[in-house]
Amino acid sequence: MDFQTHLIWNNFPFLIQGLWLTLSATAVALLIGIIQGGIFCYLKLSNNVFAYRLSSYYITFFRTTPEMILIFWGYFCIPLITQQKISGFWSGSIILGFVTAAYLAEIFRAGIEAIPKGQIEASFSLSIPIIPRWRFIILPQALKLMVPPLVNYFTELIKNTTLLSAIGVAELALQAYLLGGQTYRYLEFLSAIAFIYFVIIFPFTLFSRRFEKINELN
Amino acid sequence: MDWTYFTEFDFEIIWRFFPALLSGLWNNIILTSTSFCIGGIFIGTMLAMVSMVKIVIIRWVVIIFTEFWRSTPLLVQAIWIHFAFPVISGLQTTPFQSALIALTLNVSAYCSEIIRAGILSVPKGQYEAAKSLGLPIYVSWIKIILPQALKTVIPPLTGTIISIFKATAILSVLAINDIMRAAQRISSYTFKPLEIYTSAAILAFLIGYLITRFGNFMENKFSKVES
Repeated sequence: MDFQTHLIWNNFPFLIQGLWLTLSATAVALLIGIIQGGIFCYLKLSNNVFAYRLSSYYITFFRTTPEMILIFWGYFCIPLITQQKISGFWSGSIILGFVTAAYLAEIFRAGIEAIPKGQIEASFSLSIPIIPRWRFIILPQALKLMVPPLVNYFTELIKNTTLLSAIGVAELALQAYLLGGQTYRYLEFLSAIAFIYFVIIFPFTLFSRRFEKINELN
Repeated sequence: MDWTYFTEFDFEIIWRFFPALLSGLWNNIILTSTSFCIGGIFIGTMLAMVSMVKIVIIRWVVIIFTEFWRSTPLLVQAIWIHFAFPVISGLQTTPFQSALIALTLNVSAYCSEIIRAGILSVPKGQYEAAKSLGLPIYVSWIKIILPQALKTVIPPLTGTIISIFKATAILSVLAINDIMRAAQRISSYTFKPLEIYTSAAILAFLIGYLITRFGNFMENKFSKVES
């Protein structure tokens, strides 16, 4: 067995291109996820029964269906329905965004519900208006609790972007797979991307663990 | 927007290929259960126990192993085992075997963390009592520590079954005949992606939902026992 490191260095620009696509898919999915997750969280916390049901159905469906099937569904069926060409990158990251929204909605809700009820009642009894109530009382406390699960989910999301390779988006995993096929040296490229993913994801894991400990101490 | 695709939904095609989808789904279920039993319960427990050994080097090896498998995507692990590992070892595995190996090791890394937390939640006095009674080490693990850890471990473990099930769909990239691969084949054969993928998604959702309900049931049952 000989490990030809120079192959990796020679093809490094391709891997960087792949990494760029991976990160941009993550960013798109995260953006959609945060906005839509916030909306579904609001719906779930509202007193309206219909809104509550809607958001809990949405959350259950997107949390229990395998992402792979959803991504394929989006790739083949969104263009049929909208009658427009949509690239694999966009359909894939939009679907990943929908999945992210379901997870983030639950994380947001758990964070907000973890605040002691007395805090919100106190803000009501002091008749603090809605914006300062959220800005100074609810959000600062909830965000602290939300950070570890959010970071954990973020790492999940980076891992899930590899699924886009199945619909032909040339992100890091597919790029390495193709390079491996061209040179017949799968070992080098696949080990390289495994290492790249590890280097990206592991610091976030450490950060969330550390933050969790700080939260526990407080 | 063109909703005619929904109004002209072709159920006949779904019925015709339903057995194929189901046989694909069966493979997913086999992968889920095998990797959970071997990787999650057996290897996971082993890793958790080994990670508490006092010898630093062994502990570090286990920690690096679990962290590595947790921090890389399953898809990369699966293609690494299928395409890169044979270069090192000289052993060529079939796609199903590689998928099973990757999934099992991945699951074992996740579950070992859960089981480790469960073992740590057992009060220290229990260990000391077992030791002072002069119980052999395997008796004290099997009869005293693991049964107590089980209570805290079962709810999160049933929670991981659902994520394993979701992960099995990823393994279709290795061309094992799971529900994803079946759906891909059928839709490229019939040119009816909407019908096939929708029914595949609904089927997978139903199985996932069953697992979730089972998980909730176990969680309720075991949280009652503890309180």
